Amino acid sequence: MNAADAPAPLLRVKDLTVEFRTMDGIVRAVDAVSFDIWPNETVGLVGESGCGKTVTGLSLLRLIPSPPGQIINGSIELEGLDLLSLDAGDMEKRRGSEIAMIFQEPMTSLNPVFTIGSQITEVLRRHRQLSQRQARELAASLLAKVSIPDAGRRLDDYPHQLSGGMRQRVMIAMALSCNPKLLVADEPTTALDVTTQAQVLDQMRELQNEFRMAVLLVTHDLGVVAETCQRALVMYCGSIVEAGKTEQLFSSPRHPYTAGLLASIPRIRAERIAELPVIPGRVPDPGNLPAGCRFAGRCSHVQSRCHQERPTLRSVNGNAVACHYPLGADI
Amino acid sequence: MQYVLRKMLTGIPLILGVTLVSFALMVYFGPDMTYQLLGKNPTAEQIIEVRHQLGYDQSFIQRYLAYLTELIRLDFGNSSSGEPVRSLLAKTIPVSLILILPGFLLGHILGVLLALAAAFWRGRWADKLIMAIAVIGMSVSFLIVIIAFQILLCSSDGLNLFPVRGWNVQSLPDYLSYIAVPTLATTFVALGYETRFYRSVFVEEMTRDYVRTARAFGLSSRRIFFRSIFKNCLIPIITRVMFSIPQVAIGGSLLIESYFGIPGIGKATYEAIITGDQPVLKAVVSLTAILFVFVMTLNDILYRAVDPRVSLK
Repeated sequence: MNAADAPAPLLRVKDLTVEFRTMDGIVRAVDAVSFDIWPNETVGLVGESGCGKTVTGLSLLRLIPSPPGQIINGSIELEGLDLLSLDAGDMEKRRGSEIAMIFQEPMTSLNPVFTIGSQITEVLRRHRQLSQRQARELAASLLAKVSIPDAGRRLDDYPHQLSGGMRQRVMIAMALSCNPKLLVADEPTTALDVTTQAQVLDQMRELQNEFRMAVLLVTHDLGVVAETCQRALVMYCGSIVEAGKTEQLFSSPRHPYTAGLLASIPRIRAERIAELPVIPGRVPDPGNLPAGCRFAGRCSHVQSRCHQERPTLRSVNGNAVACHYPLGADI
Repeated sequence: MQYVLRKMLTGIPLILGVTLVSFALMVYFGPDMTYQLLGKNPTAEQIIEVRHQLGYDQSFIQRYLAYLTELIRLDFGNSSSGEPVRSLLAKTIPVSLILILPGFLLGHILGVLLALAAAFWRGRWADKLIMAIAVIGMSVSFLIVIIAFQILLCSSDGLNLFPVRGWNVQSLPDYLSYIAVPTLATTFVALGYETRFYRSVFVEEMTRDYVRTARAFGLSSRRIFFRSIFKNCLIPIITRVMFSIPQVAIGGSLLIESYFGIPGIGKATYEAIITGDQPVLKAVVSLTAILFVFVMTLNDILYRAVDPRVSLK
C-alpha cells in the first residue's frame, strides 16, 4: 500500500528549522527535522505539547504566523517541488488543492457567521471552475460522504448549530473537497469524546483510501497513532528522536523517551498500580537548551557522553533513533 | 416584531428611572423661578399665585406624575420664554440632526476604512502613517481643533472660505458652507478614536482560528480579510456606532453649536440649563432617555441580522 508501490516519496522534508523571535530572544521550535511521507500513507507525529509538532505541521503549508515565526532552513518538497521556493500567491493556490490542513478546535476553526455550505463552496470555487449550484451540490455530496445526515439541508446551518463531531466532519469534508494529496491533521480528534473520536478516525481512514491521500497525523495520543498510522515519528524538544514502523516502535522502542511515553499510557486491563509511571523532570526551556542530548536531564539511562554530544538519527534494528545508548540494542 | 415590542416595554423602567432622578434633581437643586418671574417687589398673594401656576405648591409625587403625563402626551407646556416647548424642539432638533449627521457618518465610515487599510497592511508604512495621524487626532483637544479650523478656514487670517458663525440656510450650497467647518472638526477628532478602535478590532479578529483554517484551504488573504473577518467585526462596529448616537446627539452638538452659533438642540439645552428653564430640560432629558432605549433595541436587532448565534428572546 505505501512505500512499496511508489518510486518516490510524496513529501520530503529535509532539515526543516523554524525559529520564533520572542521577548526572551530567538527560540528554535523545530530543529533540523527531516522525514518522508509516501503516497496514501498515514504517518503519526507524536510528542508532548510544545515539542514542535504543530509548528512542523503548519510549516508544511507555510502557515507559521510570521512575524514572529520564520522557517530559516531546510526544504519541503511535495512531489519534487520545493514549497519554500514558491511565491506567496503560488503557495496560496496549492493550499487546499494539494496540501490541506485541519485543526484541533472544531468549535473555533469554522467561521461562526457563515453557513457551512457557504464555507465549503467557497473553498470549492477557489480551486475548481464551478458554478454556485454545482459547488453546492458537490458540497452536499461531500457532507453525505462524511455521514452527515440530511446533508442538503445541513448546508444552511451555521457552525454553532452542529455538534463538535459534526463540525470536525465538516472540516474533513472541506479538506477532501479539492482532493489534496496530503492532509495534515493537527489533533483532529482531541477535542471530541471517545466514541465520536473513533467514528471520525474510521471515517478519515476510509476516505483516505477512497481519495488516495496521505495523512500526517499530528497528535499526542499514542493510542490514536497505534490504531491509524503505519509509521510514527516521535518528536522531543524540536527534533525527531525516533522514527519507524508503528508496530515495531510500540513493541520495542529504542529511545528512552519513546519508552517513557509508552509506559505512561494508562491501561484498563493491566493490574492496578499505585501510580502511573511518568517521565521525571521537565522539558528544557526551548530558549536555553542543553548542549548534548536534550532528553539527558530526564533520562534514566543517561551517561556522561549524553551531556556533551548531541546524538543524531541513526538506524538501530529497523528504527531510526537519536540516542547514544538505545534500549535493547547490542552496541 | 414581538421582540421589538417586548424590548421597548423593558425600556420603560429605564425611562422612568432616568426621568425620576433628573426630575428630583431639578426640583430640589434647580432654581426657583418664582422671583425671577415676579421681579423685585412681589406681594405675598402674587407669590402664592405664581407658585401655584408653576406647580410648586404640589407634592413631589403629584408633580412627577404631572410630568409623566406631559411625557406621554409629548406636550411639555411652554418654556419660560413663553414659547411652546414642542415648537422649540421642532425648530432645533432638525437643525442639530443635519448639522451632526455628516460628521458622524464620515467619522465612522472613514474610521472603518482607514482601520481596514491599517490592519490589512499592519506593520507596514501605511499602517504606521494612519496610526500616527490617529494619535494626533486623539491627542488634540476638541476645542483647540474647532478654534484652529475656524482660524484657518473662516477668518481673514486664514483662507476665509466659510462663515464662522450663524445659521442662515436657504439652499444646499448655504447648508454645505455652514456645516463644512463643524463637520471637518468633528470628523478630525472622531477619526483618531474610531480608527484606533476599529483597527484593534480587525487585528484581533485576524488571529482567530477560522482565519487560519481559511488560509489552510487556500483562500486569498484579501478575500479572507474583507469578507470573513469583516463580517465578524460587524458586531463591535454596530455597537460602537449605535452607542455613540446618544453621545453625539447631546455632547457633540452642544460644543459645536455654541462655538459656531448654530441654533440647535444642544445650544437650546445649554441655555435652558443656564436659565433654569425646566420645561425644556424635562423634555430634553426624557427624549434622551427614550432615544437610548430606542438605540439599544435597534442595536439588538442589528446584532441578530449579522450574527446567527444571537437569538432574540
